Amino acid sequence: MEYVSPEGLRLDGRRPKEVRQLKCELAVLHRADGSAYLEMGNTKVLATVYGPHEVSQRSQSLHDRALVHCEYSMATFSTGERRRRPKGDRRSVELSLVIRQSMEAAILTHLLPRTQIDIYVQVLQADGGTRAACINAATLALADAGVPMRDLVASCAAGYLNGTPLLDLNYVEDSAGGPDLTVALLPKAEKVTLLQMDSKLPLDTFEAVLGLAMDGCKAIAAHMRQALLEHTRKQAVVRGPVRL
Amino acid sequence: MLQSSGQGDGPSTSGSEQASSYVGQIVAPGDIVLDLTQAGKLVRIGGGLQQDGTSLVVTKAGRLRHTKPSKYWVEGSQRRYVPAVEDVVVGVVVERYAEHLVIDIGGPVTALLPALAFEGATRRNKPNLNIGDSVYARVTSTSRDTEPTLACHDASGRAAGFGPLAKGYLFQCSTGLARTLLSRPTCAVLEALGGGLSFELAVGMNGKVWVDAASAAITVLVANAIINSEFLSPTQAKIMVKSLLKQVQQP
Repeated sequence: MEYVSPEGLRLDGRRPKEVRQLKCELAVLHRADGSAYLEMGNTKVLATVYGPHEVSQRSQSLHDRALVHCEYSMATFSTGERRRRPKGDRRSVELSLVIRQSMEAAILTHLLPRTQIDIYVQVLQADGGTRAACINAATLALADAGVPMRDLVASCAAGYLNGTPLLDLNYVEDSAGGPDLTVALLPKAEKVTLLQMDSKLPLDTFEAVLGLAMDGCKAIAAHMRQALLEHTRKQAVVRGPVRL
Repeated sequence: MLQSSGQGDGPSTSGSEQASSYVGQIVAPGDIVLDLTQAGKLVRIGGGLQQDGTSLVVTKAGRLRHTKPSKYWVEGSQRRYVPAVEDVVVGVVVERYAEHLVIDIGGPVTALLPALAFEGATRRNKPNLNIGDSVYARVTSTSRDTEPTLACHDASGRAAGFGPLAKGYLFQCSTGLARTLLSRPTCAVLEALGGGLSFELAVGMNGKVWVDAASAAITVLVANAIINSEFLSPTQAKIMVKSLLKQVQQP
């Protein structure tokens, strides 16, 4: 099957180095401390943050930093066929761990000892790149909750099909069996917090695909930062310092 | 508040340092707002900012504020409250012990209110607070490693309005709206409500608001007016309160 046409267009009409359309909305759930809804093309994800609050199980509390707990789940209606196990299966457990490690690198956990931060990410519609979309949504939800972070984490996936590095694969391109590389990045310091790939790539091609994914992350980070600033501007307190 | 010193004076005239160019603007986590080597001898930083080597990095989204000579902080509005000394808060009693009460103030950890931190309290004469009661208190100490402590009296030991809040209705708003409600001069929505109704109000910097009025209808009206006024301008808030008052006056 041809994933990149001779004119250089992919199956959905994008160019190889184009990211899908990104839409973000913050504070969508008013009862949660922080929440965000993110769409990357047809992949739709909702992230919710509760905390920092007291650790629910005293035995797990850490004396010098915050405990970050993350749960990834997919809605039963998110994939083509109805999914019977939304969470608890191996893939969800692995993704929960991966998202947690990625966010822990950005959160300043040493400022909040003996507390817990809960991140719940739910995929409402899956069309490839759910890992990346979940990390992006979790970042925005944490920023909405006011959890201290050293930078926004941006994530993007890239692959290699028909001899071309492709950015932000959708489901059809993902199931083609080629390599699928997901990167999460702290854009200002250019530090990688997550790097995962399945299948195999020769080293020089890997460097090209990794570079493309990192560029994608920086573009997504700029867009997310704008959305965050817009939302904060609407909410910002416009008066001067409060005199009580 | 943390203090950090820059390395030497910046290249400015007559010893005054240059304020960051981001002051008054909205900033996001990861933004570098000040190069500490150019900033002068002493820079005081408040919430939302951290020192990272020689630069000042934003850790929370909000508006960057600066007061002369050298105080910087980020003002944002969230649901979670970060305890700071001398803040007034409304809390709910969660546990009761012989020597102290454990109070939920909506922060990362629960707070401690010593049983003797009331005006005229002695070992024999302790206040009668049960689990679930609301209390109006002042934060006396915070530390990263211990729970924040509260007190129900002001610095000189007088009650000054602190203490248990009986009856009434407690609801949650964001910290930004709480700051607006507590600011001087009185904010537009409270002025408009006060002109037409009589009620008692206690606002905590932690976003918890307690209302008490003669009838339930007035309590609900006041609570709704306050929650709705968060994103309204002063004029819009006045109009909104006027239309709500008209509804209550009609039988």
